[in-house]
Amino acid sequence: MVPTSPRRPGVASNPLEWLTRSSGTWLPPLLGTGGFLLLWQILSSAGVIALPAPSSLFTEERTRTLILYPFYDRGGLDKGLFWQTMASLSRVAQGYTLAALVGIAVGITIGLKPTINRAFDPLFQFLRMVAPLAWVPIALVLFQKNQPAAIFVIFITAIWPILINTAEGVRQIPQDYRNVALVLQMSSRRFFTKVLIPSALPYIFTGLRISIGLAWLAIIAAEIVMPGTLGIGFFIWDAYQQNYVGEIVLGVIWIGAIGLVLDRLMAWLQTRISPGQ
Amino acid sequence: MTTTTAPSLVDVRAIDKSFALKGGGTYLALQGIDLEIRKGEFISLIGHSGCGKSTLLNMIAGLDLPTEGTVLLDGEAVKRPGPDKMVVFQNYSLLPWLTVRENIALAVDEVMGKISSSERDALVQEHIDMVGLGPAATKLPLQLSGGMRQRVAIARALAIRPKLLLLDEPFGALDALTRGNLQEKLMQICNEHELTAVMVTHDVDEAVLLSDRIVMLTNGPGSNIGGILEVDIPRPRQRLEVVHHPSYYSLRSEIIYFLNRQKRVKQWRARPHQVVARHGLEKVNLDLGFLPLAASAPLAVAEAHGLFTKHGLDEVQLIREPTWRGIVDGLVDGTLDASVMPAGMPTWMTAGGHGGAPLPIVTALTLSRNGNGITLGRRLAEQGVHTVDDYRAYLKSHEREPHTMGIVHEASMHNLLLRYWLAANGIDPDKDVHLQALPPAQMLADLKDGSIDGYCVGAPWLDRAIRDGHGIAVAGDLAIWPGHPGKVLGVREDWAITYPNTHIALTKALLEACRYCADPAHWGELSELLSDRRYLGIKPELIRFSEASTDVDRGGPESESAVPHHLFFGEGLNRPSRTEHLWMMTQMARWGEIPLPRNWVEILERVCQVGVFSTAARELGLDAISYQRQGIELFDGKPFNADDPIGYLNAQTIKRDFSIAEIPLAPPRRS
Repeated sequence: MVPTSPRRPGVASNPLEWLTRSSGTWLPPLLGTGGFLLLWQILSSAGVIALPAPSSLFTEERTRTLILYPFYDRGGLDKGLFWQTMASLSRVAQGYTLAALVGIAVGITIGLKPTINRAFDPLFQFLRMVAPLAWVPIALVLFQKNQPAAIFVIFITAIWPILINTAEGVRQIPQDYRNVALVLQMSSRRFFTKVLIPSALPYIFTGLRISIGLAWLAIIAAEIVMPGTLGIGFFIWDAYQQNYVGEIVLGVIWIGAIGLVLDRLMAWLQTRISPGQ
Repeated sequence: MTTTTAPSLVDVRAIDKSFALKGGGTYLALQGIDLEIRKGEFISLIGHSGCGKSTLLNMIAGLDLPTEGTVLLDGEAVKRPGPDKMVVFQNYSLLPWLTVRENIALAVDEVMGKISSSERDALVQEHIDMVGLGPAATKLPLQLSGGMRQRVAIARALAIRPKLLLLDEPFGALDALTRGNLQEKLMQICNEHELTAVMVTHDVDEAVLLSDRIVMLTNGPGSNIGGILEVDIPRPRQRLEVVHHPSYYSLRSEIIYFLNRQKRVKQWRARPHQVVARHGLEKVNLDLGFLPLAASAPLAVAEAHGLFTKHGLDEVQLIREPTWRGIVDGLVDGTLDASVMPAGMPTWMTAGGHGGAPLPIVTALTLSRNGNGITLGRRLAEQGVHTVDDYRAYLKSHEREPHTMGIVHEASMHNLLLRYWLAANGIDPDKDVHLQALPPAQMLADLKDGSIDGYCVGAPWLDRAIRDGHGIAVAGDLAIWPGHPGKVLGVREDWAITYPNTHIALTKALLEACRYCADPAHWGELSELLSDRRYLGIKPELIRFSEASTDVDRGGPESESAVPHHLFFGEGLNRPSRTEHLWMMTQMARWGEIPLPRNWVEILERVCQVGVFSTAARELGLDAISYQRQGIELFDGKPFNADDPIGYLNAQTIKRDFSIAEIPLAPPRRS
């Protein structure tokens, strides 16, 4: 957005002026975040809480190395944060893609067929309530290996919002659109591509956006209890085991940042694919 | 349109439609619908919301299937929707993710698969241009106004060349200006492409403007076709010009009457209707019909002064109808228990004058006499027409123009007096002029704009035109037949037999009210009372009961006799008179309204409930007024011989070819 002043147009070219006038947008979040960090710093320095102060992330050598060299690779699990993140993200990508494919397909089916919906809805509602962590033991028993088990945990966590939203989106296709398809005697294939998918797309995307957050949450939980896997989750757990509190804090900040980026990415995709709906 | 020989394209045969209700059971929405639609015809379905008109349209479209019966399109049963019967939906139903062109192309590609893609593109472009949306072709529906979206929907429907175009309240959500433009556009397209179309609407003017026939649906449950109107306005029609066509107003008022009637029936159904018996009366909850006229004063007085309650009728409700036709229908379908009616109506309905089976109506009380007069418009007065002789000469010299005079109802004294007066003065009331039934309240407007020459009507509509300077009085009823019967109380004969004590109580209450109305000391109060919205809803100074108010601005020496001079009560005034009813029957036969009943003695015996009147008068201690009136002689001095009505009719020079027939009446019985 280009801010303009109705009284003095042309002033917008001056960056300082622009900063002053748009201060309402950037000042409150800056003050809020800054205030929080400051409070944390004070509390830590005063010894009220056991966590290291934010400044220590830069003063301490281990964490400073991690921040400054995200791409280092010393073999085994001793790798930079970038590689840790990539490992986690690749699992998320696999599990999430699977969840999206299955979720959208099943969602459309139960959205179109009320009988199938009635048959499976209780089961879905039940499974939906099981926490990601509870799935880990079952996944490990099922697959015997860490990697597929982790992917399964992501899949099973991420699928529900996609499935339920897709089904709702299909059910919410206005009767008018269906009537148009009926009157034109559209084939099912054409109905699917020309009416059903475009109409349900906003709902599907809402589901996808909720799920990406859940998938990211689940991967951390899964990795923490799966020893010996490369990933940001196990990185934190490992740091805890070795009592590197600074690393834990850094890992947590990193997770939050990545989650935020993923969510924004989906939001952006949503506006690109179904504009104005 | 003269398409009587055209084959029918759509044949709706004996359709019933019921829906399953949530709590079990079914709701019968439509019942026994039969409708044939000819090729090239434009049909409107009109009715109140919930009457099932959209359901009927959906069944023609194949979007819904009838529970019973079939819909045939070109001789084939409609089993599923298809592009040959394309629908334009109320909310446009455009796909919002497609542009205008893509929306139309989607339909064309889907349906016109056989032609080449360049031909399809040309077809799409042709229809975009047809509805004038060229510049907006690449826009999304959300970027368009409602009117433009509906144009897209119409273009999409027409582009696939349907045999039948179905429109479900297509313009319902649009503003008036856009609606008008689109109506013209649609009309033009329909004419050019000779389309067959069925449109659901609730807009009366839209229906008249667009349709060849208007199908009126009654209210549910079990809606059916209440009537079909042929619109005889020639095409091409212009929105602003059709309103001047002579049929326009009558078609419009016909539909409005129908819709109002449906509403009235619905309201009636919504109330409980168990017969409430109390105080030794068989029924104390009554619906009494009346029209907003000064002659309805006794009903208003009886209600306002608690006279109904005094005689045990605790739950009387007054139902105001705009036209006498509403009263007739109310008595026929039983939604009214009793009503004020023109004096001629009991014999008219008993003889089947209303068009249905003869329905015996009885009267035990004459509510009012006099109060009528004949008014001519100022347009005529300005050309020197001040007397009936002037008018006769005027008619002669303006022979080629249509001359219409307004009456309220063919069975009212206004009609009979006006005809008698015209005929006695050498003017044939059917050949030299045309008499048209109009609601009283509308006559003034018609007189003002000159679409009628004059009218014969009762107070307060009579002297209003004179006071406002829009007309002059040429003859008051005192100069034609002083003391003629005006309004009577009428009930169905089966009702009177079923509730005899109620009938007497009602007669007593109204007779007492008549006595109250007759006292000049009460006239000021009566004007105030009748001016209430529940009754007449006009200013009290416009409702006058005597010539005491001799306004100087009435103008003309004749106006003296035109002042309303209602008689509500007195010796021989209220007792139903067989002679008078015979005179009215004879006059109605003279003008061909009814045949002269060969069994006229039986009819008079049954219509005039003198016994009920006498009982009521005696119980009120008013035996004195039971005196019977003597023979009838009008202003022309020709006596009426009650023993020989046929001889009297034969002696008239101006008359129609009247017929004499036995009126088949069922023996008197309970309802």
